[in-house]
Amino acid sequence: MRRKKPASGFFIAVVVIILYFILFPHPLGRELVARPAWTLSLPAAESLPPGGRSPDSPAEAGRPDALQRPDALQRPDALQRPDALQRPDASERPDALQRPAAFQLGDTFGYVGPSGRLVHVEKTLFRVALSEAGFVNYTRIGSDWVLRDPAGERLFSFAGRGYPMASGDGARVFVVKTDLTGLQEVDRSGEVLWNRDFPSMLTSVSIEGDHLLAGLMDGSLELLDRTGAAVFTHATSGSRIPVILAAAVSSDGSRLACLCGIDPQVLTVLGKKGASFAETSRTLLSAEFRKEVRLLFSPDSRYLVLEGDGAAGLADPGSRELSWTPLGGSLTGVSFLGRARAAALLARGESSWRLTIAAPLSSVLCAASFRATAAFLGSVDGQILLGIDGRLLRVDVEAM
Amino acid sequence: MRRLLPLAALVLVAPLSLSALDWPVGRTIVTATFGEDRTDHFHNGIDIGGGEQDVQPFLPGELVFRYEENSDYTSLPRGVGSFVVVHHADDIETVYCHLKRGTIDPRRTTYGARDRIGVMGDTGYSEGTHLHFIVRDEQSASYVNPLSLLPAIADAQAPVIRRVALAIGDQVRTLAPGAIVPSGRGTVLAEIYDPRADVKFLWPMAPYGVRLSVDGKEIARVSFDALQVVEGRMVLRGTRLASRDVYAADGMMRCGEVDLRPGTSHLLLTVRDFAGNETSRELPFTVRD
Repeated sequence: MRRKKPASGFFIAVVVIILYFILFPHPLGRELVARPAWTLSLPAAESLPPGGRSPDSPAEAGRPDALQRPDALQRPDALQRPDALQRPDASERPDALQRPAAFQLGDTFGYVGPSGRLVHVEKTLFRVALSEAGFVNYTRIGSDWVLRDPAGERLFSFAGRGYPMASGDGARVFVVKTDLTGLQEVDRSGEVLWNRDFPSMLTSVSIEGDHLLAGLMDGSLELLDRTGAAVFTHATSGSRIPVILAAAVSSDGSRLACLCGIDPQVLTVLGKKGASFAETSRTLLSAEFRKEVRLLFSPDSRYLVLEGDGAAGLADPGSRELSWTPLGGSLTGVSFLGRARAAALLARGESSWRLTIAAPLSSVLCAASFRATAAFLGSVDGQILLGIDGRLLRVDVEAM
Repeated sequence: MRRLLPLAALVLVAPLSLSALDWPVGRTIVTATFGEDRTDHFHNGIDIGGGEQDVQPFLPGELVFRYEENSDYTSLPRGVGSFVVVHHADDIETVYCHLKRGTIDPRRTTYGARDRIGVMGDTGYSEGTHLHFIVRDEQSASYVNPLSLLPAIADAQAPVIRRVALAIGDQVRTLAPGAIVPSGRGTVLAEIYDPRADVKFLWPMAPYGVRLSVDGKEIARVSFDALQVVEGRMVLRGTRLASRDVYAADGMMRCGEVDLRPGTSHLLLTVRDFAGNETSRELPFTVRD
C-alpha cells in the first residue's frame, strides 16, 4: 500500500530553511542570502514506466507553491525583487551552465535543469551508476549494461562480469568485479580499455579526470592513470590494522587523501612532488570507523571534507587546519557552493535530517532540521539542489 | 618461503585447538570451489550453501571492515553484497560475503569463536542464498584456498574428466584414444568437473589439482592453492597463470602445452580434488606431418 506523503511537511521544511537563512544570516564578508528558486514534485516511483519518463514540459519551475511564503518572509532584499525567483532561463546561459543536474532520491533518480525543468526521471532497478553526463540503471544480476544520457537516450552498451560505475562527470565508465578484486574501463564503443586486479579488495574509489585513486583493504593506495597503469602506490603505516576507509583525489590531481587504519585512525594527505607524491600532513583522529566513510576535495582542490562521528571535518591541507562541524547525525551528502565559498552538508539523525551550511575552517553559517523519509543533497548550477520526499528544491545561496 | 611461515604455523596450530578453527556455518555444502572460472577472474574463495543460517568466524578475530547493503555509504558498487572482514592472528583475514541485509551488528568490533557475524543471505551479485568465504594471508598478499585451512569434509566422489581436446591454432579437436593429429604446438584442453554428493546440480567446480604428462614426462601441473596479484593481474601463486591462461573461452581448462612431433605419443591427464580423490585419463595418439 502506498503511503500518501503529506505536502505540509515539505512546506514546513522549506519555511524553516528559509526562516533560518533570513533570521540568522552569518557574516561572510558580505550578507549571505538564501532564496528558494523553484520546487517541483517528482512522480511516484511506482508510477514510472520501465525506462523512466522524460517530461517535455517545464515541471513546476517558478510555480506558485514555491513562492507561497508568508509575507513576513519576503525580505526587502533579493527575495523581494520581482525577478528573484524567475531566474534567467537556462537557454540564455553558456552551455556549461545548462547541464542538467543528477539527483537520486529514495528509489528514484533523474536529471533536472537549472531552471527546474525535469529532464528525466526513472525508478532505480537495483542500483544506478549516476553521473552528470549519463547513467546506467542496472539489475542485481546481469552482465550487459547500457549507458544512457540525461534524457534517457541510449549512448552505448557494454558487458562485464560485475557492476557498472561511472566517474562523476560521466566521461569514464568502469566495471567493478563482483568480488571487488579488480576494475576494467570501457570506451564509448563498449570495448575494454584496460583491466586491473588489485593485491587486496577495493574499499574506496575516487575518480577525477584522468586520475583514479583506489583504496584497498590491505591499507594501500594505488593511483591509476588513464591507461589503468599504477603511477603511484602508497602503503599506509602506523596503525595496528592497516585498511583504507576512504580515499580521495583532488580534481587537479595534485592531492591525495585517505582515512586509514584501525588503532589509530589517521587522515593522511599527500601532495604532488615531482612525478610522485609525498605526505604533507598526518592527523590522528579519535574515530573508530570500520566501514567506508565520505572523504572528498572541494572542486577547487583547496578544501577537504571528511565524515566524522556525527560531524564533518573541514580541512585545508595547505595550512594543515582541520575544524569539525557538528551535524547531529551521519553525513549523507556534501555540496560545495562555488560563489559563496561554503559547503552544504546533509546529515541524517535518528528522527530527522539536518542541512548545515558552513564556511570551511570558519563557523556554521546556518542550519535547519526537517523530517523526511528520504532526502538528497546535490548541486545545480553551483547552487543547492535539495530533495525531500518526492520533491526537489533549488536554493540559491549568494553573498550580497 | 618466509612469507608462508605464518600460514603454515596456523595450519599446524589448528589441530591443537580444534574448536578454534572451524567452518563459518553449521550446515556446510560447498557449492563452488577456489579457483573456479568466473569469466574474467578466478573465484577467490569458496561458496557454501546449506540455507539461511548463522555465520560465525572461523577463528576469533576483530572487525576490520563491514558494509551493509542499502544503508552504508559506498563509493563503488559492491557485488559481494553485505559483508564483513575479520582480522585474525598472524595477519590472516577472512571475508564473509552476501550476508542477509540487517543482520550485521553495527556495534560489534570483536568476534569470539561462537559469535554471530551475520546470517547467510543473498545480497549483492548472488543467485541464491550462500556464503562466499574468502581467506587472505596478508603477509604474502595472497588469497588462500579455504579448504586448506578448514576441517576436512567427507567427499568420496572423484573428479570427472568429461572431454579432452587438443587446440592447434584455431582448430580444436576432441582427443580420443588412437586419434591422429597434425604436428605442431598444441594446447591440451579438458572439461573437468568435481561433483559432490551433496550438490544436486552439475556445476563445473574446479578440481584442486591437474597434472599433465606426455610420454612419461610431466609437462604441466596446476594447483589451486593460492592466488596473488603480480603486475596488476591475479595469478595462481608461484606461476604467471591468470584466469584466461587457465580457462579457455568455453570454460575448458588449459592443462598445458605440448610439442607434437611425428610418431606415437601417450598423454596422461590426472585430476585430483581436495579430498584426495583422483581421476586419470590415458590417451595414446599418433602425430603426423
